[in-house]
Amino acid sequence: MALVPITILLPLVVGALLYALPRAPLDGVYPEPSRRARGDGWLARVIGVATAVATFAMLVAERDAQWSVRWLSRPFTAAFHFGATPVAFWIALLLALCTACAIATTRVARTRDFVALLLMLEGTMLGLFLARDLLVFALFWDLMLLPVFFGLLNWGEHPATAWRYFIYNFAGGLTLLLATAAFGVIYGSTDVIGRTGAPLVGAWAPWIFAGFAFAFLVKTPIWPLHTWMPPTYSGLPPPMVAVVSAVQSKAGLYGLLAIALPLLPNYVHQYALPLMVLAAVSLIYGAVVALVQNDAKRVVAYSSLSHLGLIVIAIASLNPLAIKGAIVYIVAHGLFSAALFMVLGYVEEREDTRSLLRLGGLGWKNPRLAGALCIAALAALGLPGLAGFVGELVILIGVYQAGYTWPVVVALIAIILASAYLIRLYQDVMNGPEVEDLPVRADLSWVEGLAVAPLLFALVALGVDPAPLLRL
Amino acid sequence: MPHHLLGVPGSYPLVEALWLLPLAGAILCWAFGPQLRTLAGWLASALVGASFVLAALSWGAATQTAGAALGASQALGSWLPGFDFGLLLDPLSLIWTFIITGVGFLIVFYSIGYMEGDRAYARFFAYMSFFVFAMLTLVLSDNWVGLLVGWGLVGVASYFLIGFWFQRPSAVAAARKAFVINVVGDAGMMFAIFLIVANVHAIGFGDVFSAAGGLSSTLVFWICAALFIGAVAKSAQIPLHTWLPDAMEGPTPVSALIHAATMVTAGVYLVARSAPLWSHNPQAQVLVGTVGAITALTGAILGTAQWDIKRILAYSTMSQIGYMIMAVGVGAYEGGVALFFTHAFFKAQLFLGAGLVIHALNNEQDVRRMGGLWKKMPFAFWVMLTAVLAITGVPGFSGFFSKDEVIFGDLQFGHPVLFAISALTAGITAYYMFRLLFIAFFGEYRGDVDHAHAPGWTMNVPVAILVAPSVAIGAALLSGGENSPWARFFAAQFGPDMAAIAHRPPAISEGVTSGIVFALVLIGFAIAWWRYASPGAQRDAGERLEGETRGMPAVLVHLFYVDDAIQLLFVRPAQRLGAFFGSIFDPHVIDGAVRDVVFWARWLGTLVRSFQTGLVRAYALILVFGATCFIVYYAFAAGALH
Amino acid sequence: MAVSIDHYVGLAAVMFFIGVIGVIVRCNPLVMLMSIELMFNAANLLFIAFARVWLQNAGHIFAFLVITVAAAEAAIGLAIIVTTFGPERYVDVDDVRALRG
Repeated sequence: MALVPITILLPLVVGALLYALPRAPLDGVYPEPSRRARGDGWLARVIGVATAVATFAMLVAERDAQWSVRWLSRPFTAAFHFGATPVAFWIALLLALCTACAIATTRVARTRDFVALLLMLEGTMLGLFLARDLLVFALFWDLMLLPVFFGLLNWGEHPATAWRYFIYNFAGGLTLLLATAAFGVIYGSTDVIGRTGAPLVGAWAPWIFAGFAFAFLVKTPIWPLHTWMPPTYSGLPPPMVAVVSAVQSKAGLYGLLAIALPLLPNYVHQYALPLMVLAAVSLIYGAVVALVQNDAKRVVAYSSLSHLGLIVIAIASLNPLAIKGAIVYIVAHGLFSAALFMVLGYVEEREDTRSLLRLGGLGWKNPRLAGALCIAALAALGLPGLAGFVGELVILIGVYQAGYTWPVVVALIAIILASAYLIRLYQDVMNGPEVEDLPVRADLSWVEGLAVAPLLFALVALGVDPAPLLRL
Repeated sequence: MPHHLLGVPGSYPLVEALWLLPLAGAILCWAFGPQLRTLAGWLASALVGASFVLAALSWGAATQTAGAALGASQALGSWLPGFDFGLLLDPLSLIWTFIITGVGFLIVFYSIGYMEGDRAYARFFAYMSFFVFAMLTLVLSDNWVGLLVGWGLVGVASYFLIGFWFQRPSAVAAARKAFVINVVGDAGMMFAIFLIVANVHAIGFGDVFSAAGGLSSTLVFWICAALFIGAVAKSAQIPLHTWLPDAMEGPTPVSALIHAATMVTAGVYLVARSAPLWSHNPQAQVLVGTVGAITALTGAILGTAQWDIKRILAYSTMSQIGYMIMAVGVGAYEGGVALFFTHAFFKAQLFLGAGLVIHALNNEQDVRRMGGLWKKMPFAFWVMLTAVLAITGVPGFSGFFSKDEVIFGDLQFGHPVLFAISALTAGITAYYMFRLLFIAFFGEYRGDVDHAHAPGWTMNVPVAILVAPSVAIGAALLSGGENSPWARFFAAQFGPDMAAIAHRPPAISEGVTSGIVFALVLIGFAIAWWRYASPGAQRDAGERLEGETRGMPAVLVHLFYVDDAIQLLFVRPAQRLGAFFGSIFDPHVIDGAVRDVVFWARWLGTLVRSFQTGLVRAYALILVFGATCFIVYYAFAAGALH
Repeated sequence: MAVSIDHYVGLAAVMFFIGVIGVIVRCNPLVMLMSIELMFNAANLLFIAFARVWLQNAGHIFAFLVITVAAAEAAIGLAIIVTTFGPERYVDVDDVRALRG
């Protein structure tokens, strides 16, 4: 019972405490390349990983637990009500896993502060996904923007990116809050996530739906609300972008699944076609742009735009099978995008560049690095036997069953394009003749390997047997 | 047709073992490569060989215990209701399993010598074992999704092995091309699965086939067409064939196993496996038969214009698979599968023989720089000669029986045009195969390798073993028409389907067609002899070959411009579109709109800030004025109320 | 003549009006602060007077509240004046225009 709020508070409190502890043993000197490999700031990282692993264990231990404290009674009832829904449970596990892996491989200036931010990111997002109350959901929605904002401001490549990220997503947060308030006033309670209640109808309902949808589609993102995403993903340090792309991008999809779908099904149905058109545009748009990007992280960023479009198509089709597939694909995308960003981070740390035009031939001296990137890229392009394929296949079967043929055809074209840009990404980094003037660095260290191994293993395991996810 | 047997739960513990052994080999070689060193090759071949033995045992067990119990499936697990997975052993999958594990074993064993000294020795065997596992998944699966899983995994294994020497840019490009084109095929197969699941609500072959009768013929056509996209990509049929010649960038054993004997025949397997769908849809049959025949002809024509020994063999493979696809397309399933079966032996033999030559000549692949090799390498010469006789269909050799069955099948099932094309192709085949043999092995040596080093026994023995089936297996299994062992083996699998087609006896008998084909083969041989082996041609062979190179028609040099067309129609437009969206639309149109919002917000701000004078007393005055307005308004409003 | 509520209202109105005029016309911030105090006290007078008339304590409470706020406001106001008090030892609010937009 009581573990649920502790799960959320633990990373927040540990993060805050890290700031209070003396910096010296927690932090390292940066950026001497020789010292980077030696794990400066190891104490902060050990504390961080331990915290994330502890949240993981608590999530597993209290899978069905709920915890609630009354918050508002007027003008509508609201409660600090937490507890994982079946979908949220898997996303939260993914979050704890990604956070642990990301912290383990953090190597940036001011490690202590960065680890603290990552923990707070985990805490705020756990609050979001475990929230059973719409108002609490909206509260954590805005809170989870802050760690990323400060991450971009302090460790990013350009401060303008931080503001762009914040303004876009905060605008979404604003419409979410307005819609939540209106919802609460009309519905009488916001303690509604994961409950089977009557859907909301009435003159205001379309506007409330619009408010939710705007927030969710900005966060996902969906074309044409996506332009904050590529600079954010390419600007953030790898550990944080791994968590953001893996889990934070799922906040909008989770919102669609857990809020819009049960509470406003009529409007999802009514606006299914426009939603699907936007998602299909994202699907193709992201794929063709990824085809010609020369920045490795931007390739993955645009591929996210494309892949997440597929999930929105699945949700908009309202077909139960497609939605099962969407859940699998949410987890699969989290795993492979985190793995991709982490491995590309390793590459960038080693070679001081992530330009596909510069890189090449790393596979020979770094076989383990190449193997990790390869599995992640193959999962992302939907290789059968890995989790991404299951998601794609089940989604598209469901969407086709629901009677939509053209999104299926669009998605198949995007799958072909995905194979082209991800193979290009892998080959341009790992294959070809070795580039003379690139530094030669050691292959994956055991910490680095151990940090991506769980992600890759989960991709294989869920690809072979996705039943636990499909039977939710 | 054993669809009544498909999906019957059975128990084949051996099937699971034979399926998973190569995977174990792959994982061991991959994980312990540095420790295993050269043992990796022995380990991988031992496990593939064990898999072959188990295949033979499980065949024996199945036929003994239940007679025709071949065709039962072994349940593996389930994702969801309706998504049940299992392994299926029936005559069709058994034949493929034999070739994959048997020929696979010989080729993996051969690689022990061929890959000696390579820097990534163990990784090569890991990939090869993984390929065998993936291919077994493809053929043993009892449902479409499992088949697609295998389909994708063989694609990725092929990708790894084509790009095995990944420091060569040409290998990298070839691997990329092969992968992407194969994903086009995967997408087609996925679409077929959507059609199947949406209409039948099942993925198992048995369920689908028993429901096939109730489906509309348009739907069945589209299912077949979508499946066939997969076959076209995987089996290098027109117009998705261009990856196969490029795939010769991989090591020669890879070309022998994956790009000749097994993976590229997956399309044949797919059509034969889906026989109940195709048999009831004449349009789909015509589509597949026509594509196969055109591919057979095109491959043969392009094969006449190549100089790289492996590319000649690659176009030959494309052409032979065209034959197989044509055969299974028109309904001559037995013949198509027979050609696959015999082709696996003699084409593997051709590649391995070519590998002997390439290995001995320090990776020389250009036939213009060979010549007179029969004196230097008599063993390789005899190997190549028997294989060439087999592939051209000289009576008595295995290719004769299978090719005749395929070509006669065209007439049997009422496709005289396809018959003409395939007979013509047989003649061209004889021409380009003997051309290869004469240029490389006859005349004087034109290269500059002084001492051709002899391959070790690990390379010679597998090739020698292959000679036996490619010479004799046709006579042993295929002779005897309706009563041949082959026909009896497949009687339950394809018999009823063949009967379902209106069976018009052709105007001429099989003996006559054999005669016509053999006459064309002789003509092809004679032209090759006259151009490359006659004493006149031998005298100034070097200059004649150079002249031929210069005089080659542009359309053949550019391989019918298929690659250029794909570039022009698909690749470049996609890249242009991506560049336009990424560097013009995103930053200027979308962000431009956002900047417009920012601009108007600022404009409003400048407007309002002119009121902020900073004079406290002015603010006070405005305050008083505003308050006065309120008071006056409410005073009057209140007055109006009363 | 008994002192009625009208007298209190009249007195408060006059005090308030004097305060308003003082804020608007004077440039010396100290005098402006005093004028603001005058307005506060006009309001306080009304609170007390009406509390007395209607026999309700809320007015007294509000008066206290206003006195507290006035004290705080005076403290902040004086602090601002001290910081803007330049070397010429003279302050004119019209010269303090740092907040001009």
